[in-house]
Amino acid sequence: MTQAKTAYQKPIPLKDLDNAPYWDAADQHQLALQKCDDCMAYSQPPGPTCAKCGSENVIWQQLGDDIKATVYSYVVSYRPFLPGFQDELPTIIALAQLDKVPEVKIMGNILNCEEKDLKIGMPIQMTWVDITEDRALPQWIPAMN
Amino acid sequence: MGTIKDRYAIVGVGESERSRKSGTTPLHLALDAANAAIKDAGLKVTDIDGFMNYNEGDSCTSHQLATYLGVRPKYVKDIQGGGASTEMLIADAVALIEAGQLNTVLIYRSMNGSSGTRVGRGYDPDMLQGALAGGSFVIPYGSASPSQWFGMYATRHMHETGITKEHLGHVCLSFYEHAQRNPKAFLHGKPLTMENYLATPDISSPFNIHDSCLELDEGNAIIVTSAEKAKDCKSKPVYIMGMAARQCHPHAHYWNDIDQVASDYVAEELYENAGVTPDDIDVASIYDCFSWVVMRQLEAYGFAKRGEVGDFVAEGNLKIGGKLPTNTAGGMLSEGYTHGMNNTIEIVRQLRHDYEGTDRQVEECKIGICTGWAGPDIAGAMILRN
Repeated sequence: MTQAKTAYQKPIPLKDLDNAPYWDAADQHQLALQKCDDCMAYSQPPGPTCAKCGSENVIWQQLGDDIKATVYSYVVSYRPFLPGFQDELPTIIALAQLDKVPEVKIMGNILNCEEKDLKIGMPIQMTWVDITEDRALPQWIPAMN
Repeated sequence: MGTIKDRYAIVGVGESERSRKSGTTPLHLALDAANAAIKDAGLKVTDIDGFMNYNEGDSCTSHQLATYLGVRPKYVKDIQGGGASTEMLIADAVALIEAGQLNTVLIYRSMNGSSGTRVGRGYDPDMLQGALAGGSFVIPYGSASPSQWFGMYATRHMHETGITKEHLGHVCLSFYEHAQRNPKAFLHGKPLTMENYLATPDISSPFNIHDSCLELDEGNAIIVTSAEKAKDCKSKPVYIMGMAARQCHPHAHYWNDIDQVASDYVAEELYENAGVTPDDIDVASIYDCFSWVVMRQLEAYGFAKRGEVGDFVAEGNLKIGGKLPTNTAGGMLSEGYTHGMNNTIEIVRQLRHDYEGTDRQVEECKIGICTGWAGPDIAGAMILRN
């Protein structure tokens, strides 16, 4: 994939103490999810403790790079609200419900998708876009059948 | 502490001029609004011993306002907060009066929401990633406006409940119709037809410009005191029957579960405190940053069942003369925008029957509801009576 080091104008996900493992995995084109080792609930977004039971006993589960989901909801924006989106209108922003972990929903843009084809329930697949030399952003594309 | 039912009242309301470009500062707008509210109540400025405001870093402080009203109050308080803050600060004021700390509190919201900081046009991306819970999972995808944040809820909810774009249009048309009766409404003289509404392209689905609240320069103020002190005021007191001042979504990153909103948690406590049911409500101010937000709250507060809210608004029930006249000055969609406080002012005026003899008055209204929405994550509401 081509690098867009100097051209990338959009906000880059800020890593912090609690979310770094998610973004580190994303940079390797992998999905990692935080999970509570006590109540077994997933935490998305990740946090300092389990958002379901408050336990500090949180672990990271690697889910690999074959991530299938369906569109749970979406918006289509015809105006840019942030730098970098002005040349890619309309922008489709979706909330994806993971097939393997339906209680987890992850936001992203759906790339290579016509607005007319967009609907709730449509199958999508996670992809990763290299946005700088060392960062990659998880995104979604329509699933191939 | 016992029940506060009917023991506190809103005794004064006032606003500055509203415009696209005030040419002045939020402090000047706040002074105008405060003086109008104090005059409305028939109080002296020295009667006010507490000043409170909510803001998003876009206003003047309560201490500045008190200073330039020429008084030294006992208490000043400024909070960061959005559209559920009026109810929350009223509850804070009631608590401080109940505790014997204060007598009479002035609460205001003042902002150059058009010529200064615009709420709806996006923010600094790095700031937002830090400020929003889980912001790094939202901002990099271009989602930086409340229209996009709440739209994610709306698309799913509309899909599940059969609400259509035309239903959203009925919310807009109802409020725009009210604005045509209100010469001070910003969109007075600009009526909306369903044909025009449906022909207007979306800014961010499912919302077009009519579904979205105004952005204006404006200051609003209200005065809260005890029922006992209210007797000495010039105005007709509007009593607080009950409040549920602040309720939260289960997760601060509210996209974690878009099937529920904080408003869902408010209704039960609110009606229990006030001792009334939705059937008892004569007039409503429902927070209307976006048309769908009204629909979702009508469901949460029990005015129509889930799945029937679309029909409820299409039947004209939000209009004056309908079952639940709502946002009767035009609301934030067409009157003005001060993060909800202009809707609070309107319901006070309705319950005082200030519009008696005109087509703006909801005839013989006695009980009203005022709801706040600071997002799907934070909500508050109160029930008032005359």
